Amino acid sequence: MTDIIVPRGQWEEDQEAALATWIYDDGATVQAGNIVCEIMVEKTSFELTAPADGILDIEVAEDQVVTPGQIIGTIV
Amino acid sequence: MSSSDTQKTAPPAERRLTIAKAMSEAIGQEMERDPSVILLGEDIGKMGGVFGTTTGLFDQFGTDRVKDTPISETAFIGAAVGMAASGMRPIVELMFVDFFGVCMDAIYNLAAKQSYFSGGKVACPMVLMTSVGGGYGDAGQHSQCLYATFGHLPGMKVVMPSNAHDAKGLMLSAVRDDNPVIFMFHKALQGMGWLGTIAGSISDTPEGDYDVPIGKANIVREGSNVTIVGLGATVHHALEAAVKLADAGIEAEIIDLRTIAPLDRKTVIQSVSKTGRLLVVDDDYLSFGVGAEVIASVCESDIGPLKCPPQRIAHPDIPIPFSPVLEHSVLPNAEKIRNGILSMIGDQK
Repeated sequence: MTDIIVPRGQWEEDQEAALATWIYDDGATVQAGNIVCEIMVEKTSFELTAPADGILDIEVAEDQVVTPGQIIGTIV
Repeated sequence: MSSSDTQKTAPPAERRLTIAKAMSEAIGQEMERDPSVILLGEDIGKMGGVFGTTTGLFDQFGTDRVKDTPISETAFIGAAVGMAASGMRPIVELMFVDFFGVCMDAIYNLAAKQSYFSGGKVACPMVLMTSVGGGYGDAGQHSQCLYATFGHLPGMKVVMPSNAHDAKGLMLSAVRDDNPVIFMFHKALQGMGWLGTIAGSISDTPEGDYDVPIGKANIVREGSNVTIVGLGATVHHALEAAVKLADAGIEAEIIDLRTIAPLDRKTVIQSVSKTGRLLVVDDDYLSFGVGAEVIASVCESDIGPLKCPPQRIAHPDIPIPFSPVLEHSVLPNAEKIRNGILSMIGDQK
């Protein structure tokens, strides 16, 4: 099991980040390197890739605020 | 891990892309294949396009082939017409279709007529990609669709994908076409977080080369009771409505036009001859629109199969409101489609 973690140091601490889009559905098969979701900080988007091959387990829904270091899903 | 016979075999991973990514990938692959393809537009260089249509292409191909232009559509779209006449294959981005006014002479008097006026000697292989649609509170000058405005004018092809697979295939077809192609992309489908993204637009997209032919509609859901024709975002509204209609025992057939001009009348007529009912849904202004053209095409062909008058849902003939409450009340949605079909079918089935 590998966690998908919101990266640190990509934006200013006082900026609010939100989970904009899950590219894959909960339970989908993904490969390491697939872009699995996008995080929006103001109008800039940051892409997160799957850290491993496996099944995506989504833990944080779209439109929720996220913070650096937070686990938003896992690859099982 | 436990023994394999007790484990479910996971399906292979899909290659899911947003429309923005699919467009960038198609353009990049064509630029690699064909050195005559170049890109012009506002913020399409380092920024990668306000709508993500040219992501990574500036770094890959440099300033000679990916050119940021001043905010002068008149100049750079006019220049593209000249480049196309001189053997290049320019792709230009008109950031919002709403701003066609200042460059329309280059589009419909020059590009659209170049081949005709030269007796077929000078082609105009250019692609004009442009964003359409609202729903995110950007008011009357950044939210229009104008499908009919462009579809009405001879000499141009006009396409719009509803998902990433079609976006890539249509872009590859558009760049290879020797005629001017207007490639519209809907903001609600683009995959840019700040615009919101309709989930169905993100789809499995092959990495390799394929084309989606221009002028060919796609039946995205089969059904026997009613034909719903849509394009871009309204395809997804129709699909959502169809799920609820199925619960009521009504099976809707849904056609994604994919191309506005030339219109695939045959696919629509064939479907209506089976279902006997037709509803056309688009988010352009109602009058003289895509819905009118589709309905007229069916009625001109044969009214025999029609069990009730064809209907259309579109944006009313007013400017697009800024207030989200007002805007959403005038845009098409799944609920309006469902209600429209229920009243068409009434007691009969």
